[in-house]
Amino acid sequence: MTLSPLISPVVVTAYQCVSAGGDDVEALYASLIANQTCLKPLTLFAIPFTTLVGEVTSPLPAIRPSLQAYDCRNARLALKALQQGGFRADVERVIAKHGAARVGLILGTSTSGIYDSENAYARLHQDGVMPDDFYFTKVQTAQATAEFLWLELGLQGPCYAISTACSSSAKALAAAQRLLATDCCDAVLVAGVDSLCRLTLRGFNSLQLISAEACRPMDAERQGINIGEGAALILLEKPNAENADRPRLLAVGESSDAHHMSAPHPDGVGAATAMAQALRLAGRDVSEVDYINLHATASTLNDLSEARAVSSLFPNPPPCSGVKGLLGHTLGAAGAVETVVSLLALERGFLPGTCGLREPDPECRFPVVAAPNLKVSPRLILSNAFGFGGNNASVLLEAA
Amino acid sequence: MEFMSLLGFAACAPDAEFRASLPFPAFDINRETIPPLLRRRSSQAMQMAFSAATAACEQAQRSPSALPAIFASVAGEIKTTDQICTELVKADGVISPAGFHNSVQNTAAGYWSIAQQCTQPASALAAGSDTLAMALLEAWCQLACQGGELLLVCYDETWPEYLDPGRGNPAFACALVLAAGAVDGRLMQIGRPQAGEAIFPAAWTNSVNSMPILAAIPLLEAVLAGKGAQTIALTPHTPGWQVDVGGWE
Repeated sequence: MTLSPLISPVVVTAYQCVSAGGDDVEALYASLIANQTCLKPLTLFAIPFTTLVGEVTSPLPAIRPSLQAYDCRNARLALKALQQGGFRADVERVIAKHGAARVGLILGTSTSGIYDSENAYARLHQDGVMPDDFYFTKVQTAQATAEFLWLELGLQGPCYAISTACSSSAKALAAAQRLLATDCCDAVLVAGVDSLCRLTLRGFNSLQLISAEACRPMDAERQGINIGEGAALILLEKPNAENADRPRLLAVGESSDAHHMSAPHPDGVGAATAMAQALRLAGRDVSEVDYINLHATASTLNDLSEARAVSSLFPNPPPCSGVKGLLGHTLGAAGAVETVVSLLALERGFLPGTCGLREPDPECRFPVVAAPNLKVSPRLILSNAFGFGGNNASVLLEAA
Repeated sequence: MEFMSLLGFAACAPDAEFRASLPFPAFDINRETIPPLLRRRSSQAMQMAFSAATAACEQAQRSPSALPAIFASVAGEIKTTDQICTELVKADGVISPAGFHNSVQNTAAGYWSIAQQCTQPASALAAGSDTLAMALLEAWCQLACQGGELLLVCYDETWPEYLDPGRGNPAFACALVLAAGAVDGRLMQIGRPQAGEAIFPAAWTNSVNSMPILAAIPLLEAVLAGKGAQTIALTPHTPGWQVDVGGWE
């Protein structure tokens, strides 16, 4: 039975993504279909252990001189995504239509520009002072890349960052939907941007969560995660006659585990609550979900928790898969990057595979898609993103 | 929704001299609000956030375990992050697992949900000098969409001086318990945050330019002043963000 929704759906009128899977959505689609890992040894900086990463190795664009204070790898990744396909033109069309004050920007990030801060700290260590061209609140603090994009595009609407570790940009979609539902905005640009840095690589290594080889999400012999980077941009607008042929964001479910700072609830209670909440807000039933894009980091505990969450919520679970063996875990960008993966699945009609999967964990009491399935066209998709602090979000998307 | 109801608020300012200068009651850190197991490792940011949040919930007579929470700060766990960045440049630098997971912006939000056994959504938000304004807007949107009540905590610990010379001081936290619409016993009603040209009070301009989260001072001052409807500036810059308040009971 379909209930009436508790929040109005919003329309995804444009999206783009830069990741290890390629510089735009066309390249990402090709990578998803090929299902050959894009993880490679790290070239950006040295680390004292072995792993593979999802690094963007193509050149990044320069930041314009007037916004030079914002220059950092995170801002450059965001600018690169903005320049792909006709995305920038789509945003400019929306600004022209509604006015800059009616267009908001919500960023989800965990790293912000800390890679460039690390370089500044190296100079501090060497010279005793921070470099003159280091601007703390324009590079390092969480809103920096949001402010950069806002200035770059000449927006005048609300602008802020959500930084809840690996659920950041999924929760940014939730905040954006609310800005539209309350008529605070007519359009909102959601950006999920995270960049490779020593802090996250060495931090996750200290937690003994890093895999030396390409990770194997939901595999019985998974041995940890690979870090990735990326910038995903998603333009949301209110429904109207012109955008009736575009996919919709129906709802984002959110919850807290209230269990542990860096380990998920063992039975996935919070994860299941987030998925159930997304369906409840949208007035949809578990039986209607065609595919779940799993968070599936390939850490032992996280995948177990998520497998139990899916099994507990869905009497007859739909096919599930995770793409972090392909792209790495893009941390604060993962919610938006994998929403783009899910949008491609909705629009182009396929189920993404689980790169790296050999033998699914026996706790997975649901079909785990190993190789991409081009014979299935999902219409309703859940995409999960769970982070430190037991911070859970699940994004519910529907085809036009 | 025409307005939100403020059900309780509290402020925490560890510096005694600064605390005495504030136009509303504020308190020092109350370490009793941090569970004993978390106390040793907790940052100044988390201690202030917990102190203010606990007192605001007490004033509002609301159980923290039932409230969705928004934690807003410009620089988050900046002292922990600074320590890690300092270790990262040393050849033999040591990164501790707890140090790493306590460096995320949602550290206070995460530990609050654990300490209160609160499974409601918790968010961590940042918006530079607009952090207070955007946090209030996020609170407005959550209440307008979902109804009910929530906890909003705005805080920033002191920043290492070399990161942003002349800024990041003094440390401050405030917490507000807010409800959708008109609720009996409200301290004040707060409208939807809007773009506008309200002028930030000159007496606090230097303070807020030094520590952006102090943009909350005029709003908190208005709770006690209880003068009739008025427009409060939420940002030190013009044009910026503002909010209409009134409806004291």
